Order: sequence, then C-alpha cells, then structure tokens
Amino acid sequence: MAVTAEDFGPTISLDGARKQRGNLTQARIRWMVLALVLGFGLVGGRLVQLGMVVPDSTIEGQARDVITATRPPILDRNGLEMAVDIRVPSLFAEPRRIIDVEEAVRKLRTVLPDLDETWLRNRLTGDKGFVWVQRELSPAIQEKVMRLGIPGIDFITESKRFYPGMTEASHILGSTNIDNQGIAGIERHMDGEDVALLQELGLARGNALAPVELSVDMRVQHVMHEQLVDAMTRYKAIAAAGVMMDIHTGEIIALASVPDFDPNDPASALVKDSFNRVTAGIFEPGSIFKTVTMAGALDSGAVSITDQFDARFGIRFGRFTIDDFHGKHRILSLPEVYKYSSNIGTIRVMQAMGKDAYRAFLSTMGFDARVPFELPEMRLPTVPKEFSEVGAATASFGHGLSVSPLHMVAAYAAFVNGGNYIAPTLYRRDVAEAEALYRRVLQPSTSEAIRYLMRLNALEGSGSQMNKEALGYRVGGKTGTAEKVVEGRYSSSKVTNFFGSAFPLDNPRYAMVIMVDEPKAENPQSGTTAGWNAGAVTGRIVQRVAPMLGIAPDFSEVLDQNLVPPQLR
Amino acid sequence: MIRNLNIFLIFTSVLMLSGVYALKFSIENTAGERTALIAEIDSQEGQLSLLKADEAVLNQPGHIEPIVRRHELALAIAPVKQEQFGAFADLPMRPAKPNTSAMDSLFESLEAGIDPIDAILELEGIE
Repeated sequence: MAVTAEDFGPTISLDGARKQRGNLTQARIRWMVLALVLGFGLVGGRLVQLGMVVPDSTIEGQARDVITATRPPILDRNGLEMAVDIRVPSLFAEPRRIIDVEEAVRKLRTVLPDLDETWLRNRLTGDKGFVWVQRELSPAIQEKVMRLGIPGIDFITESKRFYPGMTEASHILGSTNIDNQGIAGIERHMDGEDVALLQELGLARGNALAPVELSVDMRVQHVMHEQLVDAMTRYKAIAAAGVMMDIHTGEIIALASVPDFDPNDPASALVKDSFNRVTAGIFEPGSIFKTVTMAGALDSGAVSITDQFDARFGIRFGRFTIDDFHGKHRILSLPEVYKYSSNIGTIRVMQAMGKDAYRAFLSTMGFDARVPFELPEMRLPTVPKEFSEVGAATASFGHGLSVSPLHMVAAYAAFVNGGNYIAPTLYRRDVAEAEALYRRVLQPSTSEAIRYLMRLNALEGSGSQMNKEALGYRVGGKTGTAEKVVEGRYSSSKVTNFFGSAFPLDNPRYAMVIMVDEPKAENPQSGTTAGWNAGAVTGRIVQRVAPMLGIAPDFSEVLDQNLVPPQLR
Repeated sequence: MIRNLNIFLIFTSVLMLSGVYALKFSIENTAGERTALIAEIDSQEGQLSLLKADEAVLNQPGHIEPIVRRHELALAIAPVKQEQFGAFADLPMRPAKPNTSAMDSLFESLEAGIDPIDAILELEGIE
C-alpha cells in the first residue's frame, strides 16, 4: 500500500529519544575523531620537525670525532712503541651557563696562572655554547679544577700523541698538531694514506687501530743518534746526520739528523737548522761520489780493475788546473786511484767512460730525481742536465752537483748488493717483496769489484780510522770531504764530511752514510778530513750495532783475501 | 559472557601495566649502570693509555742506556768488545782418545792398597 505525502499533508516528525541520543553520539564521535587526528597530527608534525634538526656535534667548527679520534700506534721493527696515543683531559667552558664570570676567572687562574686574565674574561663572557679554555692538561690539573666547583666548566677527554723515544727518532716520526693531524714525517705520510679517511668517517674513534710497523730498529737508532750528538760536541760541528739501510730490502734501519726537535713539543721543530738533513738537505757529496764514478766506469767496460791511470800531472781545463789533495803524482792503478782518492785518476776513469755515458749513469742511479721515500720533507737534487768537459770532471769527484745523503745510501746499497737499485722505505718489507721492485743498475761482477775497493780503502786508505774502531766487522767505505762555497769560492776551513760505507763486506747486509757538517779537529794530532770524524763515527756506530744486528766479528784474513778480484791475486 | 571478558581484560590490563611499569624502571636502572660502566671503562682506558706510554718510555734504549752507564762500575759491565765474541771453531779439539793406561795403573795401585794421594800428603807433612 502506497502512502503518499498528499494523503497526510505536512507532518511534524518527532525524533525518538533513542534516535536523538544516536545523533548526539555520532557528533561526539566526529569531534573525538577530529581531536584524535589533530592530536596525532601534532605528534607527527613534531616528530618530523625533530627529524629535520641536524644536531650540532661540532666543537668550535670541528667534528667531535676528529678531536677524540685515535691514531694507530707506531712500532719499531722489534715491536717497541715509537708513538702511542694517551688520553688527556681538555678544559672547556659553556659561557651560557657561567653565572659569575669574575669569580670563574679568578678561581681558574689560581690553578692555571699562565692564562691571560683579559683573554680568559673575554672568552668566558657571552652566549656561546662551547669554548676551549686550555687543551691537553694533566690529570692532576683536572683534579684541581674539578675541586674549584665552577659551574659551566668541564672536561672532555682527548687523544694526544706521545713519543716515548723523545728526540731520538724525531725526523722519522715527524709530529702531529693539537687536532691529531700529522704535520711532518711518517705521521703526515700515514694521514695521506688512510688515517685521515678513517677519521672523516668517524671510524677511528675508540676503535683499536692496527699498529703501524716501521722498518726502524730503535736500538740502532739510539746508537746512531747518540753518536751523532757525540760527534757534534766532539768535533764542534754545526750538524751531523746519518742513515743506515738494509741493502737487500731497502728498509731504513736508522735515520737521524742533529740538531733535531722533540716531537712531543711540535713548536721545537720550527727552530732553525733542525731540518732533516738526510732527506731535505742536499750537499756536494765530495769524494764519496768517486764510488759512483768507479761503478759506472767499471760497469760500462771502458775500464777494468787492472787498468793504470796517469796521475803525474794535474789536469788543465783552460785557466783551471785540477790537482790531487794528497797527490802521489805517479801512475796509479785503479784501486790506488780509489785508495788515495785521486781526483786526477778519477777524471781519467770518467773520461775513459765518456761524459755523456757518465751523465746517463747518474740518471740510472736516480741522482737527478727525488728518491721514492715516505717522508714528505724532500728536496730535489741539483745535477746539471748536461755536462761540459770541466763539469763532468768535477762531477766525477763529487763537486758541482748536490744530492741528499739518502741518494747516496741508496746508491751504495745498489753497489754492494749485486747491482740492484731498491728504493728505501720506512715500512717493513721482506726480501721477496723487495726483489719484485729491484731495478738492475750494475752487473754483479761490478758490484764485487766495488766491494773490494771499499774494503781496500778501509784497510789501507782513508777508511783506516774507521776500521780501527770497527775491527772484525769487515766494514768498507769511502771518505768524502767537500769544501763549502763561502762567498763564491771553495773554503778549505769549512767542509762537509761524509763517509759512505757497507758491512760486513764478505756478505754485505747494511749500507750507511754519515755526514758531519763543518767539523773542527778533535785534537792537534787529528785533522778535519772525513776519516777523522765521519769515518770515526761510522766505526763507533758499527762497533756498537753490529752485534745487535747479528753480525759476529771475524778477524780471519781469508775473508778480505776472498774479496780481491781474481785478476789482482 | 561479555561481562566476564571485560573483567578478564581489565585484570590483564592492570597486570600488563604494572609489568610495563616495572620493566621501565629496570631498564632505566640498567641504562644507568651501563652509563656508569662506560664511564669507568673510559677512565680506565685513559689510565691504561698512560701506563702503556710509561712502559714504552721505560723500554726505550735511550732511557735504559743512562741507567746502565750509571751502574757500570758497580755492576762491572761494559760494552762488548770484538775480541769477546767466541765461535765453535775456536774451541780446542777433544783429545783423540782418553789416556786409558794411566787410569788403569791408578786403579791397579788402589786395588793393591797403595793410595798415591797418601804419598803426596805424607810428603807435604799432612796426616
């Protein structure tokens, strides 16, 4: 049955109580939903806002991780620590939270009297959140400051680099700045490799880093450093330096240069003259360069060990005459040229080889480029691109060109190890790894001849002072006394002395170059030539370190006789 | 039925609530302990680093040498000299054979009742 509106007309509809309550509930639910949505929206919004905030983890512009990051310990070849990290407290302030600046300044200065009053007051005033007051303090001072009980002052633990060897290996290790970044030496090289990357990633923080093992033997390093310091006082020299290298692997066993600095106090590195003379110093090598000339000439086949050279008269180049220092002025055999350190004879040897071949040989030995080495302190050698006749003549006995002692030790190592050039390194390297890097520069027979010449010079020539000290260890070497250029002329009173050596020559293992700069005679009976100082220092070092390196003395003459080439027996 | 369920749910909620409450406190407690332990480890690591640095200093040849020099006289020590090194080759060769005949004669005389030492003692005037 259809009911239409027409039948009833307009009606008044009254909602029942139930329906009325239902409507009310629905409205309440809607309000509730709205309130909840708003509430959750608020919470959600805040969460998003919090998520957007980048927390300020920097301390005065530096990431906190970098400041507290650690560096790997550095060990010597026997596992003795050369550099370690220590945790030290650093004092900082939060000026925002300091209530009474005057009181804080007064109290702090009772413990840290070195702080400047106005500087400290300015630092503590203001609305900054973080300022350093003093970094890297001792735990005792931390205790005292804590006891003052100043609000807004606190400590943060930082890593500080500590070098237990003090000055001994300073030039090898270099130093780090207050933010633990390497600024010199192997520390800087390590940063270049991977530590910086680790710190950037924040991975170095708190993690135990694998220690870095160096090739240096701290015992040998100690002896060399001690002897160089001794040489400075004994000969009243202005500087001394030395480097010892394993000739088969290229590992640097010891490297020292005095005057040096204390890496625990990096500011002392800036003192004049404390640079690393082994790598960053270039010098005219003097007569130790004659070994290079001999090696080149013998290897080229232009001369043989049995040849004779006319050293009766000086050699004239235009107005100049080059003569010998202790001239024999007779015909000399090749071993005699080396033994008496004859300039004339050496020029003749070089001329037999030819000046262009000689110049090419210097390139082969790496004398005109920097030595591939880890230390960043380096200077390029100065070797003329081309030699004139007189230039080649002076170069043959080590004048008119400048190289670093590191160049010389690398060359000497190649001369005695059978003729393989191996770049020196401060990291561990075993023989197999080194052999892959060998570059052949001499024939083994030339190397044998050079060994004989070096030993001969120690027994009968200018190395006898050295041999007296290091008797039994079969050391051989060559002295070099290079006159310094003072006001444009060579001065006979100011000399740089070198001794290039290798031992034990029956089965060579180590090469060494010692330099003493501007020595005076030790006593009236002695002289200022290299044999008296650089040579004697070499002898004393070998005498001390040979037993440490497992080399037993042997006095049997047959060892020396075996070094003599068959043609000369 | 629904009333029983509600009662059960209320009880469970109360139980859970107290559980969560207890858990919250125990977690806060643990976190506090953890923070304290981290701080302790940190300070001990700091001390350890100082001790290790101390040890490294004491082990340095440069630290030991002056001590050795100071006690050189008292301990009668000196740097080793080349002549002090020995080799097996320097040892004298063992005699080809022990001197058996001399031993035999000694034992024979002892068995016969003659002690050669007695004779020496008598000669020296010692009883």
